[in-house]
Amino acid sequence: MSSHATSHAGHDAHHEDHHHDPGFIRKWIFSTDHKMIGLQYGITALAFLAFGFYLMMVMRWSIAYPHQPLPEWMSWVFTDGWKARWLQDGKVTGETYNMFGAMHGTIMVFLGIVPLGFGAFGNYVTPLQIGAPDMAFPRLNMASYWIYLVGGLIMCASFFLESGSAKSGWTNYSPLAGFADGQVVNQWLAGQTQWLIGLVCLITSSLLGSVNFITTIINLRVRGMTWMRMPFFVWAMLVTGFLLLLAFPPLEAAGIMQLMDRVAHSSFFMPSGLFTKSEGLADLSGGGSPLLFQHLFWFLGHPEVYVLLLPAFACVSEIIPANTRKPLWGYKSMVYSVLVLGFLSFVVWAHHMYMTGMGAAVSTFFQTTTVLISVPSVVIITAMLISLWGGSIRFTPPMMWACAFIPMFGIGGLTGLPLAFNLADLHLHDTYYVIGHFHYVVAPGILFGFFAGVLHWYPKITGRFMSKTLNHLHFWPSLICMNLIFFPMLVQGMAGFHRRWYNGGDAYLSKAADSVNVFGNTVAEYIDMNIIMSMGAWTMALFQIPFVINLLFAWKFGKKAEGDNPWNATTLEWATPTPPGHGNFLKEPVTYRGPYEYSRPGDDSDFLPQWIEPKRLDSADKPADKQ
Amino acid sequence: MEIPYVVTPRKDTGLFNSKIAIWLFLASEVMLFGGFFSAYVFLRLGADYPWPERTLPVLPGLINTFVLIGSSVTVVFAWASLKLRNWRMFQLFMGITVFCALIFMVLKGIEYNVKFHHQAVRLKDYTVMEGHLSYEKELDHNGNKVEENLIFVEASKLTFNTRRFEKSWVEEVLTQAGHHGSKIVLSADIAVVTKEGQPAEVIAKAGEPLSVDLLRRVEKTRLAAASHNSALRTESLREEWVKAHAAHPGKKDWQIASGVNIDTAALAPKLLTEVSTVAFNVDPPARLDFKPRDIKEADGQSRLRDDTVVDGKLLASPMGFHYVDAIDFQHLVMKAKEKGIDPEVAIENSWLIKNSPFAKEAWEWHQGEVAKLKERLLKDYGLDKSGNPKRVPTHKELYRIGWKDFAKKGEQQHGIKLSTMDSLKEEFMGPNYDARNPQGDDTHVEGGHAKETFPHFSLPREQIGFAAKFTPAWNTYYAIYFTITGLHGLHVIGGALVLAYYLFFGRKMYLENPEWLANRVEIGGLFWHFVDLVWIFVFPILYLM
Amino acid sequence: MADTPEAIKKSVRTYMFVGGILFLGTIITVLVASVEALDVGQHGFDKWDCILGLAIATIKASLVAFIFMHLNHEKKAVYWLFASGLCMVCSLAGLTALAIFDPIHDPLFFGKESTTPKILASPSLR
Repeated sequence: MSSHATSHAGHDAHHEDHHHDPGFIRKWIFSTDHKMIGLQYGITALAFLAFGFYLMMVMRWSIAYPHQPLPEWMSWVFTDGWKARWLQDGKVTGETYNMFGAMHGTIMVFLGIVPLGFGAFGNYVTPLQIGAPDMAFPRLNMASYWIYLVGGLIMCASFFLESGSAKSGWTNYSPLAGFADGQVVNQWLAGQTQWLIGLVCLITSSLLGSVNFITTIINLRVRGMTWMRMPFFVWAMLVTGFLLLLAFPPLEAAGIMQLMDRVAHSSFFMPSGLFTKSEGLADLSGGGSPLLFQHLFWFLGHPEVYVLLLPAFACVSEIIPANTRKPLWGYKSMVYSVLVLGFLSFVVWAHHMYMTGMGAAVSTFFQTTTVLISVPSVVIITAMLISLWGGSIRFTPPMMWACAFIPMFGIGGLTGLPLAFNLADLHLHDTYYVIGHFHYVVAPGILFGFFAGVLHWYPKITGRFMSKTLNHLHFWPSLICMNLIFFPMLVQGMAGFHRRWYNGGDAYLSKAADSVNVFGNTVAEYIDMNIIMSMGAWTMALFQIPFVINLLFAWKFGKKAEGDNPWNATTLEWATPTPPGHGNFLKEPVTYRGPYEYSRPGDDSDFLPQWIEPKRLDSADKPADKQ
Repeated sequence: MEIPYVVTPRKDTGLFNSKIAIWLFLASEVMLFGGFFSAYVFLRLGADYPWPERTLPVLPGLINTFVLIGSSVTVVFAWASLKLRNWRMFQLFMGITVFCALIFMVLKGIEYNVKFHHQAVRLKDYTVMEGHLSYEKELDHNGNKVEENLIFVEASKLTFNTRRFEKSWVEEVLTQAGHHGSKIVLSADIAVVTKEGQPAEVIAKAGEPLSVDLLRRVEKTRLAAASHNSALRTESLREEWVKAHAAHPGKKDWQIASGVNIDTAALAPKLLTEVSTVAFNVDPPARLDFKPRDIKEADGQSRLRDDTVVDGKLLASPMGFHYVDAIDFQHLVMKAKEKGIDPEVAIENSWLIKNSPFAKEAWEWHQGEVAKLKERLLKDYGLDKSGNPKRVPTHKELYRIGWKDFAKKGEQQHGIKLSTMDSLKEEFMGPNYDARNPQGDDTHVEGGHAKETFPHFSLPREQIGFAAKFTPAWNTYYAIYFTITGLHGLHVIGGALVLAYYLFFGRKMYLENPEWLANRVEIGGLFWHFVDLVWIFVFPILYLM
Repeated sequence: MADTPEAIKKSVRTYMFVGGILFLGTIITVLVASVEALDVGQHGFDKWDCILGLAIATIKASLVAFIFMHLNHEKKAVYWLFASGLCMVCSLAGLTALAIFDPIHDPLFFGKESTTPKILASPSLR
């Protein structure tokens, strides 16, 4: 039985979705089409990324020039009233720095990269690659986007509250976060509370999203799309979906409990006898456990890293074979690796907590699993590297980013190893080394993967290529600046620079000459790196402008792509019309072979897409019996 | 192309879309409730106070369990009826299911409500007292009853912070002062420079009465002045840095920073006045009351949470218990044992036993009861091999005099008996104060000699260590109880809404495509069973352990 | 899957029976917790009451899952999906427990007796 027949059963009840123009609002704003939702996710996420980047630029000023007022070119964004409230004589205060720091982390992770990778790329590409007409639950998909947007806006709106936004770091450890903004009479209008409410919205959104993704991938694959014929992209999205599905709820539990601590004065995370300088002995029952929060938080926190990473892996692993004209090396081992990676990511979380006084057995356990999880990551990255070997590489714009992704992510990954060992971590914990490590993974790693993805699928979305010249102007400075920003962090971190100094260590310098203050001399030696890093960050901001121009102008003025498959790629998304209409495929495609059939010996062309019916029937080309 | 497998299952997986989705959702829910149950276990194991064991009334929980199990059975019947294409039976069973959800929530509401009105207080020496607060003689200014748990200050001066004053508190203070015939007036003229280089102008005269408008006016000038001044100071600091860099070429910022300062003298004439606080006199000084959580009280100067400073004498602000219905020494004993003190001695020396005859009497009576219990256990179960009694009273039985103990004491000493119906009602609503104190309020005598079960008691404020209603604030047990059951209740409501939707709006769906409706009801049912499944664990864990 | 009318009619009796067992299980749980003669282990609540109570609850929950939620004859995929949740919740609770009750957590490890009071002896909790 073909799936044509099966789909008829659902036909009657569904016909209202079809065969008529949905109107402006249904088409552009409250759209249920996975492609439009993907674009909405992408644009929103890029906007949030830009905002998070801006917060970081202000922070970098405070680190590099703690004594100087914030310059006009950054501070013009604020109103005079806001400046009077949050800057002191124009200088960034510690409180403001904390606020921006907490929100930078939150925005980048929860509002920027996850929605961009999973929400935008996942939404747009996954159904196309498995030959589905849409996601399994289009309206759920729409709800997912809108709840995400509401959650994000609630979080960002908290900047305008009297208390300011959350300031306890993106991890929001209790009791610090439980007490934050305690002076606010209406706790619902405190920044920290708003953060928690926003977080609950985001978790709900990602729950809806992940349920939808997994269902789509399991049930909506076209005829012939067996598990081992799925592009690696889809595998990565499947695992990402599971990570979101299972890792987020414990954080939701923690978030709800912290919310209770704040608005119902409970003591989930508040120990007995808590004493603060401003409040004295806390008017709380006590008896709670601050470490419980950390366990629940990092139970999400670590899988979250792979939620960020896997979509980038996914993009890069599609781009490499298309541009080397060579099958992805070790496809099966990559698939198994990503599954193992997904599983292991749930049992490594306490390596974030080595400093909490845990015992030897549990540190050893988590140290072992943490080192183990590097194996599948290395398998994947090695497979990508070997895929380049002997290929006829075309250095197209997406391929440049993909090539930069591999070494940059490599640095990020390898610098993580010392942190996995608890003895080394005792020294490196909470230093700039940690910041350098995970930013290498996230910024030049994951973000480069996403830039590659944008350039790769842009011709499918719009029918036009993005400009090569502007891409060069974007790529090379970004690559250089990324390393200027993050490499010095590794050095500073090893010298002991703490990650939360709002003045970059300046406080130690006034006594640098003091013989007792040994650390002051160390700080004096490395503090000038702050200026290099900050300059790097601001320069990088400048060179994102070509990307924005490219993204907007190529929509109307870019070079036209010929045909529906401009990269001569093999996966199903290139079988759709450009741009794909509602329902994606003109006729239901059938998959005849694996996803990366490039340069097959004896073939005329150097690629054989999944959907092309075989001329001669050899065993490998038969459609599978299963649907 | 249409979305396939909405109704019929896909061949290789054997599932239709929403079935996969609901199981994924349930897996996620397992993680959510798993997180809460883990939290429960770790909070309990790590508790540094006596965990309130078997503290909730079992009967409402038991009935709720029956209700949920029953609804689980009927929802599966409803699904079976749809499969058999019997719309009437579907309506019947689904109706029962939704009705069960309603009963469940009503019982839950009663349970919650009783706790929200029940006061607990932990004394400084860790004696715990529970009961109902009395009401103040005077109603509040909206005519509502006010519980006798307020902080009283003979306020002579109020100083508001112009940035953070709470509007409703200002209004509250005004009504209270008006009630006592006092006026709250500005202590001194507020003269501010509002335009650069102009002389100061008076924006409010001394003697002007307190109003939100006045505070808002001052706030507005303050904000304007702050913006103006901050811009000027920033500009000036920038100039200083340009000069400093020119004067010290090659020097780093931190080497010269201490010498780079705003030239305050030069800037002063350009600045506007920022009034950060406004002081008001209360004339004549009036007795103002504040909720304990809103004020950090001290004799002489108290501070409200919105940074308002209240000058004045702190008056006696006892916490008045209309009925004390439990005295609990478990925490005190725990602390005593940590210090190596004999529990009995610690209790004898506790503030409550020393200062309250009724507590002393109740404790002595309770010791007699415990002795009887010990004797009975020894008689029934005998000694073990090493010669110790096989069964001994629990920590709770030894050191807690709960409301049922007080009730028993009342029955023994005063012959106060309740009808079966009233006793049953007590299982839901807590102790029946009126019936157990039959002589009413007039005969309240400290020491409990009147014919009463639950005595009256006035607790001086300085003895209070921590006080709360039986809400999440009281301890981590109640916190997790309210959080888990509250979240579970939200699931019940959500599930019932979905099922009710199929019940009331499913007819059209049924006529068009009955199989699809059956699938949907199956999905809704799966969720409903999961809600039941969670409750199956919640009930023993929170009610019986 | 019980899809034919006959099969469904037959399974209705199973549902009734299971419902009865669930009611019975609940009553047993309450009786064991409240009647002194049925109290296992020590007088009052102790670990045996906990084990017994949770065992009955687990049996009840399994009945709901297997009979009412049809897990006794469900497709393979469902088992995988749901098991993934159960597996991870075990990881969460189990490893957190390991962190709190670490068997190699020795307060004398650094040669100094811990000053923490006994009740705080599981230091990872706070």
